[in-house]
Amino acid sequence: MYHKLYKLTAILNINGISKTYGKVKALNNLSLQINQGEVFGILGPNGSGKTTTLGIILDVIKANSGTFTWFGEEPKKESRQKIGSLLETPNFYPYLNARQNLSIACKIKNVDDSDIDRVLDIVNLLTRADSKFKTYSLGMKQRLALGAALLGNPDVLLLDEPTNGLDPQGIAEVRTIIKNLAAEGKTIIMASHILDEVEKVCTHVAVLKLGNLLTTGPIETVLSKQEQVYVVADDLNLLKVTLGQIDGVSNIKASTSKIYLMLENGKDSAYLNKALFDKGITLSELGVQKPDLEANFLEIIN
Amino acid sequence: MLTLLQIELKKILPYKTFWVIFGLVFLLIPGVFFALGQVNPMGGKDMFSFPNVWNNLTYLASWFNLLIGMTFVILVCNEFSFKTFRQHVIDGQSKSDFIVAKILLMVVLATASMLYIFIVGALFGLVNTDNSAGLTEGIMYVGVYFIQALGYMSVALIIATLIRSTALSIIIFMLSILIESIVQVIIGIFSTAGIENYFPMEIIANLTPNPIMEAITVNQQAMQAGMQQPGMPPPAPIAEAIPLSTNVYIAVAYIIAIWGITYFILTKKDIK
Ligand SMILES: Nc1ncnc2c1ncn2[C@@H]1O[C@H](COP(=O)(O)OP(=O)(O)OP(=O)(O)O)[C@@H](O)[C@H]1O
Ligand SMILES: [Mg+2]
Repeated sequence: MYHKLYKLTAILNINGISKTYGKVKALNNLSLQINQGEVFGILGPNGSGKTTTLGIILDVIKANSGTFTWFGEEPKKESRQKIGSLLETPNFYPYLNARQNLSIACKIKNVDDSDIDRVLDIVNLLTRADSKFKTYSLGMKQRLALGAALLGNPDVLLLDEPTNGLDPQGIAEVRTIIKNLAAEGKTIIMASHILDEVEKVCTHVAVLKLGNLLTTGPIETVLSKQEQVYVVADDLNLLKVTLGQIDGVSNIKASTSKIYLMLENGKDSAYLNKALFDKGITLSELGVQKPDLEANFLEIIN
Repeated sequence: MLTLLQIELKKILPYKTFWVIFGLVFLLIPGVFFALGQVNPMGGKDMFSFPNVWNNLTYLASWFNLLIGMTFVILVCNEFSFKTFRQHVIDGQSKSDFIVAKILLMVVLATASMLYIFIVGALFGLVNTDNSAGLTEGIMYVGVYFIQALGYMSVALIIATLIRSTALSIIIFMLSILIESIVQVIIGIFSTAGIENYFPMEIIANLTPNPIMEAITVNQQAMQAGMQQPGMPPPAPIAEAIPLSTNVYIAVAYIIAIWGITYFILTKKDIK
């Protein structure tokens, strides 16, 4: 995968951030590191603290405790100017048109106005560039917000529910945009409550629930995106012990009738069959199962 | 700094509401001033000539300064209701940029109003002055009017930052004079130190003194000096007024304090 081509350079470091609203503990001692080139998904159900996390690292919400750094530096406005962000809702002046609104964002980010048409083209709003923002549909507003985040072609993007309010075609378009940006090596941090979305575009994921970090890591490990292999033999106990001695086998789990396992990349079921045969075990059944992400995810958050 | 001002102008130049209110103010000031001159028993000429025109015109314009303050409430509340302040911070502004930008904007608006008042006053004066009084006599009232405009807009800034909802902020802004009067009366009952005369809205309002009261005070002072002027009404007992220069210093101190407190309020809250 492409993210592995990069040396691990931390873009964002979050150290023990907590935030409470009255009695609600919105975030509980969250620590994360996000490295250059990662497409990092923050996944969690409604109210799990995703927006709170992004709001804190964008300096609009004050954490009760904890620290964070961008590009290895203390948070400051110049760092934010280098990040393209879409937080929760599209925020624009309703009486200004798309060009006028983006021109204000350009001034803040020190980006030349000539970039406006480029981003409007990417988000398919060029033909409506001179309409007032208040006349836009929900999906068009969301597109404009995404366009604003792309101004200045930033190396880091921070997107909170980027496909919110979009039609299926819009969702597909936005995912393609994100994938293309990722392929250019940009670092993307994306919050979503949609497993499918995170699974399709992210390389890494952190799962939040009620402000607690449940798990984090490369997406294939966290969501067990790898295919599962299952094997059956006469003596399941012996089979299990033997599997433990075979190179490249991991995540061995026994059910009453089968044993599930994962094979490391480059090793296939023929390899497994032969390795077991060499150790004197004959399999009565060997199969490959598509991963059930939904089940994995629900297992994590419950 | 220049960039911050450019951004502010990009927001308001295409904003219709802003132009409607400012257009009305700029039309009504000379219109009402002229009309008042026609109904004035002393005649318009006296009212419009140098140096009286400056005190008279700025006193009238001070009522419209309240309207300018209200416009400023709307401009600041917009940043909260459109969530554009939040977006600006996300995009890379700081909270102090927000305050500095609004201060720059109010300086520009106050300067524009002051220049306009200067032009209107100069025209009325030049047409109506027969005596030897020059244009610059009493012109300090125009400068003081500028400080008053800043004062009302600063009060607007802090109210809008505290309350954030446009409708409620406008109401509180309008009521602030009344609220202050009530507090003044209560304090006046319990204290004899006279601090109730130094409250912000009153200090700002007094920057453009009522010309009729001015005349009475002058008359009274003249009488005390033993120079009774015939034809003037007998002096009414007037509370000891704060001299205009002192009033200016206090107003400037209030304005700077309000800017500081507004910044403090902003740093204490999450940006919603
Ligand atoms: N301004 C606020 N005042 C009080 N409570 C808040 C505030 N903002 C967020 N919360 C609470 O903090 C918790 C986390 O909210 P947050 O917006 O971060 O969730 P989220 O993961 O972004 O959810 P969603 O998927 O619905 O966007 C919730 O319980 C929410 O009610
Ligand atoms: Mg959210």
